[in-house]
Amino acid sequence: MKNKLIILILFILTITLTSGCSNYRELNNLAIITGVAIDKSDDKYELSFLIANSPKAQTSSKEGEATTTVFSGKGDTLIEAANLIDNKSPKQLYYGHINVVVISEEVAREGFLKIADWLLRNPETRKQFYLIQAKDTKAKNILKIVEPLESFPSQSIASLIESNITAQSISSSIKYSPFIEKILDKGFDPMLPSISIEGKVKKGSTEKNTEKTEPETYLKLDDTAIFREDKLVGYINKKESQAVNLLTDNATEIRYEFKYNGNNLVFISNKVNNKTKVKDFNSIDVKVQGNGYLGEVDGKISLQKPSTVEKIEKELNKSIKKQLEKTLTKVKDEYKSDILGYGNKIYVKYPKQWDKIENRWNDKYLQKLKVNIDVDMTIESAGSLIRTIEEVRK
Amino acid sequence: MKKIDTKAQNVINKIKKLYGNSSDLQTRIIKTQNKDIGILFMESSSGSDGISDNIIKGIDYTINNKSIFENIFDSLKNTIFNAQLLTTKDFSEFPYYLSSGFTIIVIDDSEEAIILETRAQIDRGVTESTSEPILRGPKDSFTENHSKNLGLVRKRIKDPNLWFEDTKIGTRTQTKVTIAYLNDVADKKCIEEVKQVLKKIDIDGVLDSGNIREFLLKQKSVFPQILSTERPDLVCQSILNGKIAILVENSPFAIILPNVFTDFIHTSEDYYQKPLNISFTRILKLLALIITLFTPAIYIAITTFDQTVVPDELLISLAVQREGVPFPTFFEVILLMMIFEILRESDIRLPANMGASMSIVGALVLGQAAVDAGIVSPIAVIVVAITSICSLIFNDVDFMNGIRAWRLIFMVTATFFGLIGLVAASLIWIIKLSSLDAFGVPFLAPFSPFIKPSQKDAVIRYPLPKIFKRPLYLNGQDQTKQGGNNEK
Repeated sequence: MKNKLIILILFILTITLTSGCSNYRELNNLAIITGVAIDKSDDKYELSFLIANSPKAQTSSKEGEATTTVFSGKGDTLIEAANLIDNKSPKQLYYGHINVVVISEEVAREGFLKIADWLLRNPETRKQFYLIQAKDTKAKNILKIVEPLESFPSQSIASLIESNITAQSISSSIKYSPFIEKILDKGFDPMLPSISIEGKVKKGSTEKNTEKTEPETYLKLDDTAIFREDKLVGYINKKESQAVNLLTDNATEIRYEFKYNGNNLVFISNKVNNKTKVKDFNSIDVKVQGNGYLGEVDGKISLQKPSTVEKIEKELNKSIKKQLEKTLTKVKDEYKSDILGYGNKIYVKYPKQWDKIENRWNDKYLQKLKVNIDVDMTIESAGSLIRTIEEVRK
Repeated sequence: MKKIDTKAQNVINKIKKLYGNSSDLQTRIIKTQNKDIGILFMESSSGSDGISDNIIKGIDYTINNKSIFENIFDSLKNTIFNAQLLTTKDFSEFPYYLSSGFTIIVIDDSEEAIILETRAQIDRGVTESTSEPILRGPKDSFTENHSKNLGLVRKRIKDPNLWFEDTKIGTRTQTKVTIAYLNDVADKKCIEEVKQVLKKIDIDGVLDSGNIREFLLKQKSVFPQILSTERPDLVCQSILNGKIAILVENSPFAIILPNVFTDFIHTSEDYYQKPLNISFTRILKLLALIITLFTPAIYIAITTFDQTVVPDELLISLAVQREGVPFPTFFEVILLMMIFEILRESDIRLPANMGASMSIVGALVLGQAAVDAGIVSPIAVIVVAITSICSLIFNDVDFMNGIRAWRLIFMVTATFFGLIGLVAASLIWIIKLSSLDAFGVPFLAPFSPFIKPSQKDAVIRYPLPKIFKRPLYLNGQDQTKQGGNNEK
């Protein structure tokens, strides 16, 4: 009995003491990275980490307020750069809560797959962070901007993306691993939202930026970056990205401006859907349907007459169709990028023929592809007003 | 058995010698023509009013009036004014009766003695229950008076099948221990087993039912399989369900057995209120149990091992709050927990009018100053506070302390192995719980083994008209509670 007890105690002691709490880390010894920026300069990668949990100086930490710190390091590989940062940081770097990864234009133009490995391979990362493209500035600067409405920058970038996809469909959000999947998929090219800085970086990177009612520097969501395979080829503007979202069936809500008899009208719809069908090897049918209401009408248009509404509807459909076709030409012919995934659709239907043309798809066959667009939007109501204000005044 | 001396004076001398001339032993000799009548009683435990009014006067009356009986013994036995009258020929029984407050009458030339009940009321009256207060329902509670306690049970269940069986335990205290059960409902095997256990107890003194509890528990566990209560209505409910109650002389706490896990989330009040609301309360109690068991362990695990599971903002807020705290998380939580336990313990021992100073020191020192001084982080205070509040929902002290022990085990495993260790430890906990049994009843019944009809009163309480069966896991002889003929 006594021997058994001794053996048991020894057993427990061995398990608890020799395992040595292998993964034990106290929370206050961690530097929680929430944002990563990847730049390239002088043939070396410059990696920057946004560390979110530096307590505010000279105030008690009771309130749980945090400020942020950006550390960066250079190296031939990303790991080398990360090690340099590790030397600078007094705390252990913790990758589990990365929220946003910003890549610079140089990195994107050179090809993203080169650097994709490191973050995916690291077992600590969640793989569910947003990937975003910095436009007209260094990626590092994006992390530095202190935003007024959110408590820390990486969070503000994430919520900036999230709110814009649902509210306007003017950008398309993408997370890290789906982005890589799209590159590797047959007949698919990815796109990324881009972000730029309005104002001066220096002013935006201090806490003072948040104290003003009108911040001098802020981040804004910019054009959408178009990739061909893993390389950046160009940008499309907001109206065009809305069109792309309509074509890829990613639009949840659209606000479309168009003209009728010289008057500006806005059509708002949150019920749009898209049916894309491969007709044969060389042509694709796209049908965009939806219904909505008029959000803004200026000028004297009598909306009470059904015939007028019908005319407006016709004009709307024509305008949308024109916009879609214009966008399509730009993406397909100018950038030679298949972000709409038509190649993939043809591959699914004709897998054998696809093998023959796969290599020349982006350069030759994508331009040859005929896309028949049919738009069918209906205006269900004119909003809360029946007559326009201008009309009543008269 | 020792024979009684035929001389009254000798008997009195013997008793005096036995008690070492204790000052409360009162004796008196009444002389008649040829025989002496000796009266013995303990002044401390018997009421002298009754003795002089009924007994002395009665003896006087019997001696002076002609009686139909030949000898004094018979006439005294038949005419004395007292409700309870016993006779004995055994001298060794004298000390027990004397100490219990009886009066003994011995007569010259008689081998038998008369014993009369003249106990004084040395106890408090029936008062409201202090340890198990309820909102609605009977408010009386047991007292230190054994016969009053039995009366509180008897008056509630008038069925003659409610049997009281007495045994005396304690070589010196000679404490009466009564087993109460419904003879045609309770499990016979269980009764037999309890009797066997009680018979084997050889101890010098039993002062409270708590002393006997420990002999009845055989398995090693921090969770009690026996319930102590001071509520007569809970005892009666349990007896009606087929359980056995043990009442101990001088103890206001009755023992109910066998007891299962669900009994700790039930109260006697459950059956006096609306079933739907009670079901909600019981779910709340289960939730509180889980919270109080696991919160500190989970806190330790997610802040030291598995930070990945915490949402971004929360993690950053936690990290900033812990900034500057000199101790490891485990030690921090243990420290606060210890202080709380000490506070709780001293709160129980402290006289009621000193409680206010305690709560001020406790709240200020623990809540504010410790955080301001940077010894502990605010979140640790919140974790410990939630844990403590949730543990206070259970009014059984043993159960509460059992939770405390397992909480500590979970915390240690979480410190060494993180969430995985915590999962492993909780598996061991469940295995341990389901391996327990008391007098043949599994501790986790009616969940493991699963008994469908008894689910009606396990967590969800069905309306009383729908509960037809007594708890089946108690193996009672008669399992039908209502609608006897329709349900069989």
